Amino acid sequence: MDDLPVEKIAISGPTLASLMQRFSSSTGPIDGLLFGHVSFLTPSTLSDDSTTTSSSSSSETLIATVTSFLSSSSTSLSFYSPSGRVNPSHLAPSSSSSLLGWFSARRKSPLRPSMREFSVSESLSSLPNLSFPILNSSSSLSPCIFLLLTTPIPDQAIHTHEYRAYQFRASTESFDPKSVDIVNIGPAFRGHYGAFSPNSNFPSLACELRSSAMVEDKKEEEESSSRVKQAAEDQRHLDQCAEGFEIGRLSLMIGSEATNYTTGLEDLYEKMLAKIENLAREVELSSAKVFEQENHNRKLRQKAARYAGSE
Amino acid sequence: MASGGLPPLIAAQLNYLLNHHSLDVKVEQMWSGNKCYPGVLDRFTIAIPFCLDVVKWDVMYNADSPMSAPDIIFGPEDESFHPFSAKSPKNCSLLDDWNSRDPTRLMALIQELRDRYVDYQRKRVGDVDDARLNFEISTIVFREGIEMALSSGAEKPEEVKFAVPITDMKIDRMVPGCPWRGPPKIYLQVIYPVGKKHVTAPLAPRLKLVSSSELKSFFSIEDVKLPPWSDGMCMAEYLPHLEESLEKQILEAVSLIDVRRRFIEALVPQFGWPLEADPVFCRKATFLAGSGVFTFLVHFMISTQFPKQQPALMLHSCQHLTSQGVPIKSSLMTEYPWSPRWETPQMAERICEFLADEALNFKRHCNESQLQH
Repeated sequence: MDDLPVEKIAISGPTLASLMQRFSSSTGPIDGLLFGHVSFLTPSTLSDDSTTTSSSSSSETLIATVTSFLSSSSTSLSFYSPSGRVNPSHLAPSSSSSLLGWFSARRKSPLRPSMREFSVSESLSSLPNLSFPILNSSSSLSPCIFLLLTTPIPDQAIHTHEYRAYQFRASTESFDPKSVDIVNIGPAFRGHYGAFSPNSNFPSLACELRSSAMVEDKKEEEESSSRVKQAAEDQRHLDQCAEGFEIGRLSLMIGSEATNYTTGLEDLYEKMLAKIENLAREVELSSAKVFEQENHNRKLRQKAARYAGSE
Repeated sequence: MASGGLPPLIAAQLNYLLNHHSLDVKVEQMWSGNKCYPGVLDRFTIAIPFCLDVVKWDVMYNADSPMSAPDIIFGPEDESFHPFSAKSPKNCSLLDDWNSRDPTRLMALIQELRDRYVDYQRKRVGDVDDARLNFEISTIVFREGIEMALSSGAEKPEEVKFAVPITDMKIDRMVPGCPWRGPPKIYLQVIYPVGKKHVTAPLAPRLKLVSSSELKSFFSIEDVKLPPWSDGMCMAEYLPHLEESLEKQILEAVSLIDVRRRFIEALVPQFGWPLEADPVFCRKATFLAGSGVFTFLVHFMISTQFPKQQPALMLHSCQHLTSQGVPIKSSLMTEYPWSPRWETPQMAERICEFLADEALNFKRHCNESQLQH
């Protein structure tokens, strides 16, 4: 396993925001896993600014990009023991993105890794089967990224979130603080997208344009009937959403007759919006239920703790 | 006191730590890290004595789950202290088999961590590249209970601090009726500036004697004159001299307790039996005295320097109160005829004579201050 130094850690704005939201809505500390990818970035030497020195262009820099996270419950130690030993069986390998490391978020505490956080990072980066390949390179890296989120200890009128990212270096047994790049949308961040690849995978729907030649597919159909079944199922789902406006008909949108179809299409969009709104309402209702249940659980836990102590 | 707002399981563990640890562990601040129950405290900073200083660690429990083991955040200057690192030979069953119902757990954890911290600092000091220090450590490291620490800051120069326990005298057994739980601890603090390579003559270390507070009831450690540290000296050379002279002074202080006792006894024929007296160290005695119908108390405060230093006296009226209802007291009297060469009965007599006059002044003073209101 290589212990390559990561130059910086990038995280997309929405991911960081969602992580902070998850933290600030939880009652106690939370922790969890960070996913994403690590790639070599060849720094662009093209610049309008003549004063920029091209010192870094000689070597490629390694950038870890966090694209998603998985947060675990705040009350049970999740994937590690109380002393910080990681239980590898709790870390199922994910197919789409690599396990980069983990995060810990605790309110009102110093912005320094704790005793347990050190042990977890040490344990996580020492498990050989967790190391993952670096994109566009033959080397690999262990899950060595650690993101720490805290809030200040004294009460403050302003909501303050503090965070710091580290790379755990197995060779020196220490945390290396790294700068965090928050990748946002906008002209100032255009450069960041050079090495930024989207992570949301569009589901691989196995259907195609109906209007295209179906004859050629005959052979494939014979090869695997199950695939066809899947394709038909996917197509059915798509058709349900399209409500008669299947892709074939969309070609009519182009040309002189387009105006006849616009009202129909607007109608479809309206229906779609109504559906989304319905969905949002359902999510809201179920979230409220989850929240209620969590509150109830917390009260029970408090009661249990008090009872245990007063025995 | 410590349990206000702490969940009961955590409070039991913290109280056990504060009341049973052999060192005086203190809680600096307590707060809550919980959003829903800001009144439920689950975090606190403890100050643990180490090397004649304290180290401050944050102990973090989780109010949502008071049965889980706590986590510790060490000080910002101890970033490389990793007591439960996978490379350390000892296991960490203390945390993995955490039993929240066992009130001794937190203390066991803190003790274990402190032991490892002592080893960690010793290793840090051992790694300092300084010939004189390396020599000192090699000759002194076997002393039981020695602690050392490397202190370095951005602004101040590197220093190595030693806390060397001095003398294994069982002082508590030499004083009859001594209420202490064990002998008081006396340390020599030795602070070495870490040598710069280009400086030829190494600076002498800074020395200071420190003792636990109970010792001052009969021996003042600040008054001990340290033997001079000559050039090229080392601790192994210095310590025996210091120990010898210190032990002599402590023996003398112990014998002075009897001198004070005899003095208090000599006061009995003059004043009658004391109302109150310190029977162990004989530093205080209170007698009832009278001048005509005016009765008052006489407080004797006897310093550890007695008989060189005369006792301080204070008169305390039994009949006059201030407007606040507090009995009127005289100021402390330390200037009156005295000679350390007098025989003890003579000392008592002379004080009695002095007080016979002083009682009249005090009575006038009492009457006057009562007339004022």
